[in-house]
Amino acid sequence: MIRFIIEKELREIIGSTKFAVTFGVCSLLIILSFYIGAENYRTLVDQHEAAKRENLRQMEGLTDWFAVQQHRIFLPPQPLATLVTGVSNDIGRMIEVHGRGELSADDSRFNEDPIYAVFRFLDLDFIFQIVLSLFAILFAYDAICGEKERGTLKLSFSNAVPKEKYILGKLFGSYLALAVPLLIPILIGCVLLLILGVPMSGEEWARLGLIVVAGLLYFGVFLTISVFVSSLARRSSSAFLMLLVIWILAVLIVPRSAVLIAGRAVDVPSVDEIASQKNRYSSQLFTEDRTKMAGYKPAAGQDDMEKTMADFNQFMQKIADERDAKMQEFSGQLNEQRENRQRVQRRVALGLARFSPSATFSLAVSALAGTSLSLEEEYKEAAVAYQRDYAAFMMQKTGMLTGGRVMMFRSVVDEGKKPQPINAHELPEFVFPKPALAGTVTESLPDIGILMLFTIVFFFGSYLAFLRYDVR
Amino acid sequence: MEQTPATQPMIEALGLTKRYEDETLALDNVSFAVRTGQIYAMLGGNGAGKTTTINIFLNFIDPTAGEARIDGIVTHKEPLKAKAKVAYVSENVMLYPNFTAIQNLDYFARLGGKTSYTKNDYHDVLRRVGLEDEAHTKRLRSYSKGMRQKCGIAIAILKDAPAILLDEPTSGLDPKAGFEFLGLLTSLRDEGKAILMSTHDIFRAKEIADMVGIMNAGKLVMQRTQSSLAGENLEELYLQFMAGSVERAA
Repeated sequence: MIRFIIEKELREIIGSTKFAVTFGVCSLLIILSFYIGAENYRTLVDQHEAAKRENLRQMEGLTDWFAVQQHRIFLPPQPLATLVTGVSNDIGRMIEVHGRGELSADDSRFNEDPIYAVFRFLDLDFIFQIVLSLFAILFAYDAICGEKERGTLKLSFSNAVPKEKYILGKLFGSYLALAVPLLIPILIGCVLLLILGVPMSGEEWARLGLIVVAGLLYFGVFLTISVFVSSLARRSSSAFLMLLVIWILAVLIVPRSAVLIAGRAVDVPSVDEIASQKNRYSSQLFTEDRTKMAGYKPAAGQDDMEKTMADFNQFMQKIADERDAKMQEFSGQLNEQRENRQRVQRRVALGLARFSPSATFSLAVSALAGTSLSLEEEYKEAAVAYQRDYAAFMMQKTGMLTGGRVMMFRSVVDEGKKPQPINAHELPEFVFPKPALAGTVTESLPDIGILMLFTIVFFFGSYLAFLRYDVR
Repeated sequence: MEQTPATQPMIEALGLTKRYEDETLALDNVSFAVRTGQIYAMLGGNGAGKTTTINIFLNFIDPTAGEARIDGIVTHKEPLKAKAKVAYVSENVMLYPNFTAIQNLDYFARLGGKTSYTKNDYHDVLRRVGLEDEAHTKRLRSYSKGMRQKCGIAIAILKDAPAILLDEPTSGLDPKAGFEFLGLLTSLRDEGKAILMSTHDIFRAKEIADMVGIMNAGKLVMQRTQSSLAGENLEELYLQFMAGSVERAA
């Protein structure tokens, strides 16, 4: 019997004009999001390569590694980040690296092109979160009460039909009729990625597959919510109104309110506040060092200018190292305090936001795409690791650590030889590791679990509500 | 009261009473029986309790007291077993507007447990209820009310149940469609079906019913066989009973 009901649902939904129109629009949007993602990726790769070339070009003509004042690393574009943008456009992509000192990321995509920040991107996250949730509501809001209004529910139950079989058939049938066809534009989108030459590794395909699974789960949440509400309402117009309110709360209000509440509940010192404290401490240290510098006296009887300068540089390096160590300790404490507060704030915000299936879905897919909040931390960690390599390289080339407030003296002896330009390609290459499948899956699992929980709760909610439903 | 030769009533109400939570008495100790090969017409105004009676037979609501039985099965005790023996046609058959008549018939026949019908069977039954061949594959959204009613009766025929419940089946039908509909009911009776029909239509009730019951304010105020009504004006009787009830209520 369940099979007949599923077949009827499939035939009824797929055969309707409403389905043809909305499915057409959804398919177009999904394919468009893949196309825009692929095009964006190619643009970002070009920009990334150009930025790297420009970085090396600035070193052209330099004949001394000591003269390298500015070396930049860039966050490489990731194929999945263009399909689920997450925070990838909000965080700074460029970091200026010195041999020592704190690193900060600048030049986010939204910073460069604020127009993108106004309307954001048409990515898979947006399509699923906004469009498909509405698609689910549009088709399931009258699943039960609409049948009652039409009189078909009464006619159906004039037969020996157990209610539990009917509602199960209805739920599975609606899901199959609405979710499975969505796989077609998604598959076309995948083919587009291949045609447009987006290099996707096996792991990235697997992660994309999981993003689609999370999307179908999210779709299931809204479908079961819609059937649940439809099993409670007497009129389809009331059900639609209730679902619209639920949608607004889940998609627009809860996630934003969660962040606002967390912001109010947990104080995090601002970046400016921290920077101001650091600057004050740095100035204080430098003033102390200036006294030391003023008191510096070359060794008595030292005639060798080279030796004198080497001693001075050694002295300067020593006080710079000491200052750097103190600064690092102080900065570390401040940063740690801020990060701890920020972690608490995030935990509160995300915990509250997870009451919304929409926020939960967004967190799951951004984790799978490697564009979650942890992207910024991972980028900084990779940059700090690179800074160590860079510092070792510069130490090897110049004999000292560059960066920070260091005053150095160098003597150049012109031996009549034309100085050779440095080879900038010798610089260690910055490699940002692609997010590992296991790591992203682990990060997204709690949210996927919550989406499953939502589906199960509303599935049983629909089931129980329908068992008590007056079919007359 | 005239008795039909059949032994056990196919459709039977025994002291059926329904009092809603707000204390409204919708049915008050209603008893009647419909045997195989009989048409029972339940007459009455709006709110008389006709639809409530049918809803109890379909187990959409439980009686407060008494029993509704289909072929001896108490509907609120064994609803699925009872429903397997009854077909139902509502006042305003809507069905699935995006489905063709054949698709609607196929779905409801399967739901009623009949899985062996072929397309030819569906075409045959649609012809029998008077639907032209060209309409069989048209979507129901283009059907008139009369055509939908015919489709509804086709569904009931396909179920091949021994009992048929009809809730105001001729309401809103034009005279020709109404006449054709009564012809169909007669043929179903001749096949041995027990038919319980609620209606406002006194003339058609008198013409076709083997037994007529008049309901008012939840009570079965009159019950007569067709032969006992032969020399009487049913319309006058109906108005007398209704007026009498109104006076009693006043």
